[in-house]
Amino acid sequence: MGLIPNFKNIATRSPWIYRINAGSCNGCDVEMATTALIPRYDIERLGCQYCGSPKHADIVLISGPLTVRVKDAVLRMYEEIPDPKVTVAVGVCPISGGIFRESYAVLAPIDQYIPIDVNVPGCPPRPQAIIAGVAKAIAIWRERL
Amino acid sequence: MSNQIAILLAVLLFPGGVFALAFGLAMKGVDRRVAARLQSRVGPPLLQPFFDIIKLGFKRTMVPAAANETVFLYTPLVGVVAMLVAAALVPITSVYAPDAAIGNLLVLLYLLMIPGIVLMIAGSASGSPYGAIGFSREMALMIAYEGPLVLIAAAVAIRTGMGMGGWATFSLNDIVAYQQAHGSFLFDPVMWPAVAAFCFFYPANVGIVPFDIPEAETEVLEGPLLEYSGPVLALFKIMSALKKVVVLGLGIALFFPAAPAGIVGGFLVWLVKMAVMMLVGITAVRLSMGRMRIDQAFVFFLKWPLLLAVASLAVVVVV
Repeated sequence: MGLIPNFKNIATRSPWIYRINAGSCNGCDVEMATTALIPRYDIERLGCQYCGSPKHADIVLISGPLTVRVKDAVLRMYEEIPDPKVTVAVGVCPISGGIFRESYAVLAPIDQYIPIDVNVPGCPPRPQAIIAGVAKAIAIWRERL
Repeated sequence: MSNQIAILLAVLLFPGGVFALAFGLAMKGVDRRVAARLQSRVGPPLLQPFFDIIKLGFKRTMVPAAANETVFLYTPLVGVVAMLVAAALVPITSVYAPDAAIGNLLVLLYLLMIPGIVLMIAGSASGSPYGAIGFSREMALMIAYEGPLVLIAAAVAIRTGMGMGGWATFSLNDIVAYQQAHGSFLFDPVMWPAVAAFCFFYPANVGIVPFDIPEAETEVLEGPLLEYSGPVLALFKIMSALKKVVVLGLGIALFFPAAPAGIVGGFLVWLVKMAVMMLVGITAVRLSMGRMRIDQAFVFFLKWPLLLAVASLAVVVVV
């Protein structure tokens, strides 16, 4: 029973969350904000905290189908997040493009460009599903610490 | 020699160092928990700030290409050390009295400025435009609130000094001893303007919502802290936790040091005062207000706290 594994277990109780909007319609973003802000779904219980800077983040929630216009910005932002990090794709858009799937302006699926660890499908997903996704991401994050 | 060892222990163990750090982080935890309960949420565990610090230890530190690496990485260390020393300067009635060589109000005032300066230097060294905005806002805010603080300190020093038959005394031990003998300044009508000015000052100094303009995460993405990650960011968190202990402790020492004799009683009374100051002056204020604009905050500080501080100084000198 070493000290470092103990510290790792403690560290997983403090996942800081950062949201990237990759051209989403804002439906998923509203659900993510709901997850954080409404008393009923309070994810601060898990130690989560939305942070303003990608450099503080541990878990990235990406929503939207990755439009051509935001691609470079999203990739650059993803690079700014320090390791170890976990990516959660929220909504159906990052998986297939959702209702935008045949558009010329959309590059979905997003995992051609960014490694995605957890998919939370839905249009938009329910807050419970997002919380389950974050919980899964925390388990994956534990392995990477 | 034993003197120096005592000072070193005070800086590293109690009331600075380990104790101040643990206490500051625990206060942050209670603050977050109470805030959550007031918003009818469950809230994070009480030890959450400790978890955050440990977590940050596992993260990678990234230095932006535009940053000056040495300054970027080492300024937060200066801030932490300054706050450790400052924590050792603040007396706790009947528990701890700083060594006469260091327990000086003027030294403390200088040390209290360092975290703000550290944030300014860190923000500009990171080479980020948001850091630069944070720099200018922090500077404006410091100019606004440091003036009243100096006047408050002068009012307390002169009141104590005149009471003791001199003119002004800046020894924190004397200030506490005088109030123990003659009653706390909190109940002295002459000092009320200074107390009020201090109540405006300390939320600004610990940087909570109406006055967290330099680090506003919704406008300037945490300003000076934007580019920091990993253990270096943890140093900033540690610095602000220590600063909270120092500022609240200073308020208690300046205005309400009354406590029963004996270590246990003195310490418990100190804890209660800290809790009240934190819950009323920080948690409640933070939750019930929106963030000011920098110009509003600047005008606000030059209007009310400065006026109150000048009034208190005048009243103290005349009466």
